[in-house]
Amino acid sequence: MEAPPVTMMPITGGTINMMEYLLQGSILDQSLESLLHRLRGLCDNMEPETFLDHEMVFLLKGQQASPFVLRARRAMDKSGMPWHLRYLGQPEIGDKNRHALVRNCVDIATSDNLTDFLVEMGFRVDHEFMAKGHVFRKGIMKIMVYKIFRILMPGNTESTEPLSLSYLVELNVVAPAGQDIVSDDMRNFAEQLKPLVHLEKIDPKRLM
Amino acid sequence: MGVTCVAQVPVAEGKSVQQTVELLTRKLELLGAEKQGTFCVDCETYHTAASTISSQGQTGKLMYVMHNSEYPLSCFGLFENGPCLIADANFDILMVKLKGFFQNAKANKIESRGTRYQYCDFLVKVGTVTMGPSARGISVEVEYCPCVVANDCWNLLMEFMQSFMGNHTPGIPSVFGTKHDSTYSPGDTMVQYMELFNKIRKQQQVPVAGIR
Repeated sequence: MEAPPVTMMPITGGTINMMEYLLQGSILDQSLESLLHRLRGLCDNMEPETFLDHEMVFLLKGQQASPFVLRARRAMDKSGMPWHLRYLGQPEIGDKNRHALVRNCVDIATSDNLTDFLVEMGFRVDHEFMAKGHVFRKGIMKIMVYKIFRILMPGNTESTEPLSLSYLVELNVVAPAGQDIVSDDMRNFAEQLKPLVHLEKIDPKRLM
Repeated sequence: MGVTCVAQVPVAEGKSVQQTVELLTRKLELLGAEKQGTFCVDCETYHTAASTISSQGQTGKLMYVMHNSEYPLSCFGLFENGPCLIADANFDILMVKLKGFFQNAKANKIESRGTRYQYCDFLVKVGTVTMGPSARGISVEVEYCPCVVANDCWNLLMEFMQSFMGNHTPGIPSVFGTKHDSTYSPGDTMVQYMELFNKIRKQQQVPVAGIR
């Protein structure tokens, strides 16, 4: 039985502890079309949706060993959309049987003066990039196939260059804490994308 | 939202906060205003934790996080003379996560609660400003709903306020000065409330005898 869509969950006491469940993989540029074709078949029927986002990662350094990280994202191709501020916690150290990376997440929609406000709070830009690609949906799962572009001059979103000759593929779900069945559904969906792409649980710590 | 003016009304001579609020609301009802529920505007203060100050080399700053019942799904973040961020309700959850960097000065929480009145195109909110258990003053918010350009309707707002506030009608709010012809926004109302709350915080506490 699938978890009900997040919007139907009752809001208890004004705070929901939301978790992001994540699986990632990548494909070379030349395999993009076949993956998109398969996703169009597997996912919910909707108009093909592309996106072009500009993301800035902000750090707040305190006396704690690790700085506080916040991600500010805005849509470059659609006007009138709010900025998206995101906090991602440390990955939960669950049992090895859990199929997806699970971490606490807080998503906030804000007005466009977000960067000025974060700087006023003491945050500083650590790095920024552009993400351009396609997004699909299947129930509460979101599948993104996108390319990351390096911004050559800080603040100038016009001059960019691709970071690699591949596309990043992400399958993610944002659901209330304790919904481990979500990761089973994600694993089942990921199976259907093999062998075009192998989506795995990748712990960011192991890459650093 | 329409152009809004937020002002403080001093407590009447020899009367309590509650009695002064009743005087104002009675005047409004005589004018023909209709009661339309209640409202609440609150403000919490956060200061930068000492640990962040020493590592960044910046002076401690005060950040205000405000809520307005008129916009129940929103949260406002403000710095004095700084930007006003409009965010959704999850901003409060983020402040909990930022506990190590920003401390909530719980004793400084201040709010204004009262009744909402509608009079034709005006929305008037008369509130008792409280800090903890004590009533510290009175706030009056007047909104002229059809107009969104501040300087276009200031005269009309002032005339309407004089009809029930008399001599206590305020001067033009400082936020209007920077607006020129740009659209009025809810953030401007929150800046006015923040200034009012800061003024009330600095004022002498209303003598106990007056609060009955």
